[in-house]
Amino acid sequence: MDKKKLNFNFTFITLVIGFMIAIQFQTIKKPAERDTRDIWQLREALLKEKELQSNLLTEIRSTEVKLAAYESKRKKSKEQALADTLEELKAEAGLTEVTGPGIILRLEPVVEDMKPGKPLAHVVSPELLQRLVNELNMYEAKYIAIDGQRIINTTVIRDINTDTKIDGHTIKRLPVEVKVVVNDQNKAEKLYNRMKVSKARDEFFIESFRLTISKPNPNITVPAYDKPIRVQYLEPVKEGGTS
Amino acid sequence: MWLPFIGLITGIALGLLTGIRIPEEYSNYLSIAVLAAFDTLFGGIRAYLQNIYDEKVFVSGFFFNIILAASLAFLGVHLGVDLYLAAVFAFGVRLFQNIAVIRRILLTKWTARKERIEKS
Repeated sequence: MDKKKLNFNFTFITLVIGFMIAIQFQTIKKPAERDTRDIWQLREALLKEKELQSNLLTEIRSTEVKLAAYESKRKKSKEQALADTLEELKAEAGLTEVTGPGIILRLEPVVEDMKPGKPLAHVVSPELLQRLVNELNMYEAKYIAIDGQRIINTTVIRDINTDTKIDGHTIKRLPVEVKVVVNDQNKAEKLYNRMKVSKARDEFFIESFRLTISKPNPNITVPAYDKPIRVQYLEPVKEGGTS
Repeated sequence: MWLPFIGLITGIALGLLTGIRIPEEYSNYLSIAVLAAFDTLFGGIRAYLQNIYDEKVFVSGFFFNIILAASLAFLGVHLGVDLYLAAVFAFGVRLFQNIAVIRRILLTKWTARKERIEKS
């Protein structure tokens, strides 16, 4: 038998065994030093680690802020345009408070018509209000609010159980103020003049209400529409659609 | 004759110096592989002393036993049965048998030599 080869084989095998034993030994071996720290030392160590953690978190946050800043810088132009458009649309839909030149109409009961034993007229019929709004719109009124209730495109004025309601808001008490805002002072003047000679006054008088019209005021504030606008039957037009 | 011992020491030194650590979960496999290697080694020594040593059997047995033991342990882990104990048992028994045989052979050789010396 080849003694050299045999020796080589055994050497190789023992080498491998030795290697394996060493690895196993190192794996099994527990940490050389026993952990002899008491609770306070452990707390200190924990505190140190926590500090490190918070430092790392701060670092992460600052980096994220920087990243966001870069992002926003990149997007700003687009975003600004979008925000502007959104504001515009909101104003058009009536979701913003508007201040501008306009007039104030007041609906009051006719004092002369008061008779003993007869209840005072206090319910303005919805038809009258609708006619008034139509007339105002005809005279280029831009923003209208009746009794603090903003009139928008989807507003309904109707009679519910003998109460006149504007989008769920009941008109109970007189006098009722109707605020009208138009685009500029000229138009406000025009509106004022037209309202003065309008038939609406007579119509209201028949129902024993007096409509008084204030002089044009450059600063009339119309409140924002405060309820959610429910869009039930509107759908966006599909691009390339036939409609 | 001393070369295998040098190999063993070199292997241990190499392992310790490189500082390789395997994950705790795999230490089972390594321990059983070490046992299989020992079994093969002592089997080889016995075969050599009995003059039935075959190089191919020895080397192939070394690797095959290691792989078999490791796969048995693996199977055991996945079946939820401590099958590696079977390997430990088998290798342990064979290890003792082999060592016993080696001891007897060496003893016989030693006594024979002593007798020869006494005769002469």
